[in-house]
Amino acid sequence: MAFTMRAVRVAPNSASLEEARARVFDFFKAACRSIPTIIDIYNLHDVVTPSQLRSTVAAEIRKNAHVTNPKVIDMLLFKGMEELGNIVEHAKQRHHMIGQYVVGRGGLVQETDTKDQGTSEFLKRFYESNYF
Amino acid sequence: MAAVVMGALRAIREKGLRGFMREVKEDGYLQTKIHNIGATLVGVDKFGNKYYEKLEDTQFGRHRWVEYAEKGRYNASQVPPEWHGWLHFITDHTGDELLMLKPKRYGAEHRENFSGEGDDYIYHSKGHALNPGQRDWTRHQSWQPAKTEKNR
Amino acid sequence: MGFLLRALQRSKPALQSRFSGGPGTSHSSLRWISSTRDLQKPDAAAAAAVPEPAPEVPPRTPVGGARVHFSSPEDAIEVFVDGYPVKIPKGMTVLQACEVAGVDIPRFCYHSRLSIAGNCRMCLVEVEKSPKPVASCAMPALPGMKIKTDTPVAKKAREGVMEFLLMNHPLDCPICDQGGECDLQDQSMAFGSDRGRFTEMKRSVVDKNLGPLVKTVMTRCIQCTRCVRFATEVAGVQDLGMLGRGSGEEIGTYVEKLMTSELSGNVIDICPVGALTSKPFAFKARNWELKGTETIDVTDAVGSNIRIDSRGPEVMRIVPRLNEDINEEWISDKTRFFYDGLKRQRLNDPMIRGPDGRFKSVSWRDALAVVAEVAHQVKPEEIVGIAGQLSDAESMMALKDFLNRMGSNNVLCEGNSLNTQADLRSSFIFNTTISGLEQADLFLIIGSQPRVEAPMVNARIRKTVRATQAKVAYIGPRADFNYDHQHLGTGPKTLLEIAEGRHPFCSTLASAKNPVIIVGAGLFEREDKDAIVSVVETIAKHGNVVRSDWNGLNVLLLNAAQAAALDLGLIPDPDYKLESAKFVYLMGADDVSLDSIPKDAFVVYQGHHGDRGVFRANAILPSSAFSEKEGTYENTEGCAQWTVPAVPTVGDARDDWKIIRALSEVAGRCLPYDTLAGVRARIGTVAPNLLHIDDREPATPFIGLKPESQQQVSLAAFGTTIENFYMTNAITRASKIMAQCSATLLKQK
Repeated sequence: MAFTMRAVRVAPNSASLEEARARVFDFFKAACRSIPTIIDIYNLHDVVTPSQLRSTVAAEIRKNAHVTNPKVIDMLLFKGMEELGNIVEHAKQRHHMIGQYVVGRGGLVQETDTKDQGTSEFLKRFYESNYF
Repeated sequence: MAAVVMGALRAIREKGLRGFMREVKEDGYLQTKIHNIGATLVGVDKFGNKYYEKLEDTQFGRHRWVEYAEKGRYNASQVPPEWHGWLHFITDHTGDELLMLKPKRYGAEHRENFSGEGDDYIYHSKGHALNPGQRDWTRHQSWQPAKTEKNR
Repeated sequence: MGFLLRALQRSKPALQSRFSGGPGTSHSSLRWISSTRDLQKPDAAAAAAVPEPAPEVPPRTPVGGARVHFSSPEDAIEVFVDGYPVKIPKGMTVLQACEVAGVDIPRFCYHSRLSIAGNCRMCLVEVEKSPKPVASCAMPALPGMKIKTDTPVAKKAREGVMEFLLMNHPLDCPICDQGGECDLQDQSMAFGSDRGRFTEMKRSVVDKNLGPLVKTVMTRCIQCTRCVRFATEVAGVQDLGMLGRGSGEEIGTYVEKLMTSELSGNVIDICPVGALTSKPFAFKARNWELKGTETIDVTDAVGSNIRIDSRGPEVMRIVPRLNEDINEEWISDKTRFFYDGLKRQRLNDPMIRGPDGRFKSVSWRDALAVVAEVAHQVKPEEIVGIAGQLSDAESMMALKDFLNRMGSNNVLCEGNSLNTQADLRSSFIFNTTISGLEQADLFLIIGSQPRVEAPMVNARIRKTVRATQAKVAYIGPRADFNYDHQHLGTGPKTLLEIAEGRHPFCSTLASAKNPVIIVGAGLFEREDKDAIVSVVETIAKHGNVVRSDWNGLNVLLLNAAQAAALDLGLIPDPDYKLESAKFVYLMGADDVSLDSIPKDAFVVYQGHHGDRGVFRANAILPSSAFSEKEGTYENTEGCAQWTVPAVPTVGDARDDWKIIRALSEVAGRCLPYDTLAGVRARIGTVAPNLLHIDDREPATPFIGLKPESQQQVSLAAFGTTIENFYMTNAITRASKIMAQCSATLLKQK
């Protein structure tokens, strides 16, 4: 119960963009600090390094770099903290971690966008799988 | 009594007084050996545990006991099944007698319980990430280039 | 299981009649088990209520689609099965008459392709005016016979027989591999009593070792002798037999001996109980877990119809499928047991050999880019494409189109010689057809060992020899046949003698009505192949082998891809030489002479197994095996058939034609099709007969149209084409079972 309470505790709204920015950095630091624990409890030693995970976290945060509304940032921060809390509390399983943060949300085909310019639909699908 | 004293003297001669004293302290030598005075040694199992019995001058129900081979970390599961019955007054047959009844073909070797003895002894189910013999779910065996390189 | 299914099918018409018929017929029976029929349909009451009109419409559909063929109308006799009149030809047994009438009689020892034994007594029926129930499988039907299959007498007889059979049958169905597809299980459910009265000890029988393929649990045997009859009649080996009498009776090899037939796996199918089961499949799966995929076999050129039983991504077993024209209901041991090769030595990822000589896994994008770049660096005429013996027509079409677009015409299929007469289709296919062999009365086999090269063709020859005492003559190296044959000689010398009319065999050939000449495709590898072919044609001309109503001049091909390759014209230029190639595209070709590929050539191996080809390869493109793709294969008689994917591809493999299509685009010579239908449309413009699936396109015989060969026949004797029956292609070479077979069975021979 305790960790649930902790997880749903909502910090007061950020007054300005600067404050929100500082909070994001705090969140990033907190996430980075918990990375060794995460690697340990999910047994990720052989699939990922701490620096890779750090850059994954940073990439997740940068995805929302365009957001300027402090309220929205607060909301996103809350979501991020909730996710981090879940991960640290071992509320997920190893394959969740691998699927979402090691392999990445986009899967392995992220890079196809630029390279396959000008190729046919057939070739694009050929690279993805045998079944089409 | 005399055997205890003789044994002690021999040990002192071998290890020196200081070594003997340390051993006495660590192994609880004194208590066990003194307790063993007057008891008959009924048998020794294959792990070296000694089984004693003393019929006179002791309370019934406390007249059989075991002196573990390992004085440091002893544990009731070190008693093999053939002696268990004798030790717990289930039977009057000693372990050596019962050992003859042990089936040759499928009688498994006794293993003591290693719970809490470290990571090596933790059981991981076959799909577990920490199980070294993790079950492999691929249903085909792929061609390995490195293995065949020597053919060239 | 099959029995119950058939019972279900049979009840369908009953269901329909129930819903479509008037109220008078509404009570008539939805039934599943025929032994309770009399309860549901009292004949007397029905007959009294509705006077049965004339029997134009057969009351039930025949069992298993049984068809009746009348050779002449006056042969027809009429019998009554459960009151329904049926017209059958003379000489049919009571059991067959019942099948035509749509009544399935339980049976164990009776098998339609074997001789009649009549020893299980399960097929007892009541015949009017007969004092005892008669064994219907052994009783010829007589005109006007009134057969009753559902009377209390017949029912009780079956129950009694079943009780006796179960006396000594162990109750180990839970651990029996036949469980779920066991005739005894099904029939004891349908026809057996609900309890036994047997209290004594069951007998037990020592298991026999029949080799690495057939597992025996002889205690389960019910002495139906199907396996003994199969071995002696179809397989033609006298290995199995019956020993002892009474309760000491058992099936066995008389002395400790393995079963050395190439058809031995079929005893697994015909065994009605779990006495003979598949050793590689033992305890692997239950038949109700398996997904059956009806496809064809590619290990030889016969194209046997098979069913691949798979569980998840794994092929668990292969069983035959009925096709009267090709394999009847048998398959060879190689076909049945090579499937474990599909799981071993598979190529997973595209790989490129680095400068250090080691393979490195790369992505498809990189692999295709490298291959395309190298292909552009060489001169067009230095590009060679070789299709392997397991290639389907689609991928061969794509390969040929791709190489033609690259400017090269050097496409060939392994096994075909460099310039076979592919223009005349009749000169490379099996013109008589496999089922047509049954009309033949003389076989002349030249340089081919059908027992090794095409066991199903051999089984058909043996069937003909057994049925009609047809003569078999053979020219070639000493080989074992499982029927009587006359060994005329070992090489072209004998052939020339026959062609010139100097051989005593000529008179035999001249007097034969339907002579058949079978030429082995192994002869195509000879230098003097054209000369030999013209000699064979001379013989055919003298012996009147090719007539308007009978074409007996056959070529027995070796590989599944050969016929389609010749149809598609995978013939290289006349001045083609592998030695001058700089870029070799091996599409699953492992049996070409890899040593003659020059050292500096870039070799691309596209295939599914890490076999001989990959050791020379510079790039590996993993493709799917026949069990994983849809493809057209043409068998040796010119019948196009499809494979159907049974399991998913392994790793990152792709279908063959897709790889070539993708490569063509990367190389900038894009092929104009990107669906399977597109490839087939393209095939339709080249060889439309490949699109007529399960249909044999006969070839018009053109004898003597070819220009006379200038070659001299060399007198070197014919060689053995296939050394090891069990290991002929990449999949079988990867198979452990096949390795075991060649280790134990070939040694014994």
